[in-house]
Amino acid sequence: MKDFVLAEFNDEVALCAAARRLRALGHGDLDTHSPVPLHGVDEALGLKRSVVPAIAFVGGLLGAIGGYAMQWWMNAVDFPINVANRGFHAPPANVPITFECTVLLSTLSIVFGLFALCGFPRPHHPVFDVEAFRTASIDALWLSARVNAAGAEEVAEELRRLGAVQVARVPEEERR
Amino acid sequence: MSVDTRHLASNVERADPLEPMPVLVGRPSDRELNDQLMGFWAQTRRGWLALFGIASSLTGLLFLAIGYTFAKGIGAWGNNVPVAWAYDIINFVWWIGIGHAGTLISAILLLFQQKWRTSINRFAEAMTLFAVMQALIFPVIHLGRPWFAFWLFPYPNTMQMWPNFKSPLLWDVFAVSTYFTASLLFWYVGLLPDLAALRDSARSRASRIVYGIFSLGWRGSARHWRHYRIAYLLLAGLCTPLVLSVHTIVSFDFAVSQLPGWHTTIFPPYFVAGAIFSGFAMVLTLLIPARVVFGLKNVVTERHLDNMAKVMLATGMMVSYGYACEHFIAWYSGNPYEAFVFFNTRATGPFAPVYWLMMTCNVLVPQALWFPSVRRNTIVLWVISILVNVGMWCERFIIIVTSLHRDFLPSSWAMYRPTWVDWSILAGTIGFFGGLFLLFLRFVPSISASEVKELRRELEHEAAPHAAEAGHGGAR
Repeated sequence: MKDFVLAEFNDEVALCAAARRLRALGHGDLDTHSPVPLHGVDEALGLKRSVVPAIAFVGGLLGAIGGYAMQWWMNAVDFPINVANRGFHAPPANVPITFECTVLLSTLSIVFGLFALCGFPRPHHPVFDVEAFRTASIDALWLSARVNAAGAEEVAEELRRLGAVQVARVPEEERR
Repeated sequence: MSVDTRHLASNVERADPLEPMPVLVGRPSDRELNDQLMGFWAQTRRGWLALFGIASSLTGLLFLAIGYTFAKGIGAWGNNVPVAWAYDIINFVWWIGIGHAGTLISAILLLFQQKWRTSINRFAEAMTLFAVMQALIFPVIHLGRPWFAFWLFPYPNTMQMWPNFKSPLLWDVFAVSTYFTASLLFWYVGLLPDLAALRDSARSRASRIVYGIFSLGWRGSARHWRHYRIAYLLLAGLCTPLVLSVHTIVSFDFAVSQLPGWHTTIFPPYFVAGAIFSGFAMVLTLLIPARVVFGLKNVVTERHLDNMAKVMLATGMMVSYGYACEHFIAWYSGNPYEAFVFFNTRATGPFAPVYWLMMTCNVLVPQALWFPSVRRNTIVLWVISILVNVGMWCERFIIIVTSLHRDFLPSSWAMYRPTWVDWSILAGTIGFFGGLFLLFLRFVPSISASEVKELRRELEHEAAPHAAEAGHGGAR
């Protein structure tokens, strides 16, 4: 049984310090929530580099190979079309569509890769149970820690000591 | 709107003499920005309803004219042989070109780290989407049998045939559909943080649920932002060559043929410059009234208008260079057919008034933008932007119709006259575009609040790096 402990902070320096302190105490399952991307939280939370560029590259590569192969197979192998006696396989004529397929596949993999990495769509999440947390997308900075229910009060106390403006607790399982 | 008047007032004392035209007037807090940029959609105004009524009527006219075309066939239009392409392709190229400014602002200016793009990118991207939607209508209704539009795509079929990939018309299918998909995704990804903010500041349960669904569960988490920022940057990186490729491929539709007036190598760059020229004009046409009506003068400042006017001037000069180059080559090549198109058909033929209107609107009128006083006069700027749109429409008319209506053999010459159906479809797409845009202004934050919040932090950081480090990071 896990609980979410949410704490609002006044500035990003305090937020990062609190994240570092909780990690030092052995709480690994942390996250920060802010209306804009913050500097320094990735390091404070120990997040690694995003894999989105790799996904984009693989998507683009598949698009390029797939786009070219499609044109070659369709117009030179399966259904050869003679246009003014040019070769059935005409590489220069295949350039534009190969490029467009590269961009299309790469774009689709970036966006759907982003959704998959963020776990979207997930319209509901336990943190939304705290009404005050709604300011996280507007003007406030929040820290969330997923901790054992037994130790939750201790973490909440620690966060208050670290300068949190307000602290709230939500059980991970929704109360029914 | 009480919020922004306060900022305008507070700005007077804070104004920096070295920065006469700031990109953001005043330093509103996150909450104030949120209330301002997300608040205006909440009320329905009478003016909005009136405009939406006009736009809806024109949209009705559009679908009526399209229905009439489907029932009667392409003969309902003024097209004939040899003028087989006319309003359909003119409007297609015109609308696609308009869309290009949106991608330029959102993608290329992001890569160049131009801060002034932040407040206008969402607006311009929406314009791109809606313009491309109008453009997509035309090739489909011009097919003659539009119910077979899916034949354009390579799909396994009982006819056991594949499309001809050596044709620029098929390249166009891929280019435009990729462009629409990529622009839609780029726009939607950029919207996520603002949709979440709308969800969290929604007053009614219904809008909370609707925005909750569309925001996909965005929590502004460090993990979200980490993937989001790089994804957004990569999308911008991909959209930059994409936007250049789209109008290049559109120009191939003409340049790859051997028709005098079309068969020139300058077409790709000249089309791209023309596209950006007309697109910036359309952004100004829409933005100048919107910033007044919605009280956005502190976010969309004179600096934005000034910069856009400069881009218009620069691209207008490129377009003028294109005209000069075409005429020079027509003379220098010694090709009598080519020279005839440029010096007889266009400048003195039956469509000469359209030609001279194009020259006036695209070459002469933008020269006024050299003067800072013109760039800062919003009414004059607005009129210029409309004239540029008219001029660019005339350019496509001149390229397409005049090149076709004087065929190689004088016995094949024919005159072109648009019918009421042609005019209705053109007016209808303007209405449809306007209607979609009004819905966008009403239901989606038209200025990216999350990016303006970030911009404010950056500007504060630049002004006082140390103070910013210690204190402001916080939001309240």
